[in-house]
Amino acid sequence: MILNHINRMMNKDRTADFLDVIESNKGILYKVANSYCQNFEDRKDLIQEIVLQLWKSFDNYNEKFKYSTWMYRISLNVAISFYRKENSRKRISNSLTMAIFDLTDTAIYEEKETNLGILNQLISRLNDLDKALMLLYLEEKNYKEISEIIGITETNVATKIGRIKSKLKIEFDQLKNQ
Amino acid sequence: MENIELINVWKEQNVKIEKALAINKRLLKESIDRKAESALKGLAQLTTAGIIAFVFYLLLLGYILFYAISNYSSASNYFIVSMSAIALINIKGFADYIKHLAWTKNLNYDGSVMEIQKRLSKLQLSIMNHSKIMILQFPFWTSFYLSDQWFPQNVGLPYIIFQIILTGSFIYFTIWLYKKHKPENLSKKWFRNLIAGSGGKSVEKALKFYREMEEFEKEN
Repeated sequence: MILNHINRMMNKDRTADFLDVIESNKGILYKVANSYCQNFEDRKDLIQEIVLQLWKSFDNYNEKFKYSTWMYRISLNVAISFYRKENSRKRISNSLTMAIFDLTDTAIYEEKETNLGILNQLISRLNDLDKALMLLYLEEKNYKEISEIIGITETNVATKIGRIKSKLKIEFDQLKNQ
Repeated sequence: MENIELINVWKEQNVKIEKALAINKRLLKESIDRKAESALKGLAQLTTAGIIAFVFYLLLLGYILFYAISNYSSASNYFIVSMSAIALINIKGFADYIKHLAWTKNLNYDGSVMEIQKRLSKLQLSIMNHSKIMILQFPFWTSFYLSDQWFPQNVGLPYIIFQIILTGSFIYFTIWLYKKHKPENLSKKWFRNLIAGSGGKSVEKALKFYREMEEFEKEN
């Protein structure tokens, strides 16, 4: 009985900790989902799937990494797999309620003519791996952290980011001047 | 456009997200309290049905074999050998199926993107190998009904020739199909249709992505 009580208390703390981590890093979920899904419904599904996987991995969280690194790893892994499985996957919307995240102000992503709109549009055209790199670069992660999240060397990160940036800049200017 | 400007443009988003995105903690907590189990319920039900069907099939094969062996007579030699081979191949197939399932269910996404995505792609490729093993049972379905009591001594030459052609063509077809089970053939429509049951399309995607990753890892 006492053990059960302790267990319940620990679970409560754990849930509260998890909620705090999600709350303080909610932008990560949103930005990853936005970069990998064009469709509003898919975005919501993806966020739910990411939260589910984060919760499943929360017990094994390795304190060596920052929470944001841990969240990026899981979010990007889920996003890439989710994106590839998109055709065959089953919707899980019934499990996690749709209203967890208030996504009402989606207009911020629909403004194609703004600088941010153009940038989002260009990022969405990149392949899965380049997209992940660019997302982390724009979030001002250092090369070491990016290499830990993606799993390639820092030199490789630097080379690739340099190349993607140049390409994006040219395309950005072209779209802007259209 | 300078680097810093790209980052500044991106930062506009942070401000908007902070304003626009609200998490309903109460609802999130509720779903966590349910441990999001129901999310996997649909998938679990589907795979459980597959496992139950497979187990019944293996039990049936096992029972038939047990019966044949415990009432042994030389007349059942063909039957015992054929059914044993079919049972062994199906046991191997079943073990692979369980292995894939357990692996998928226990997959922890908390690893580097390259590591996890490679593991996922490899899993899908190994699903293709599962169907490769399963086709090995085909020839044995052409020999299980023969009996030492009447074959070949009590049948005419035409039947012997028919049986040789039947079993021979199944062996040939099996070897041919076995050899065709390689990633290079994923670009062929007939092959993709053949392994559709084993996730043909996702195998193709996995392979394509695996190659992309290998290319991505190269330092150039």
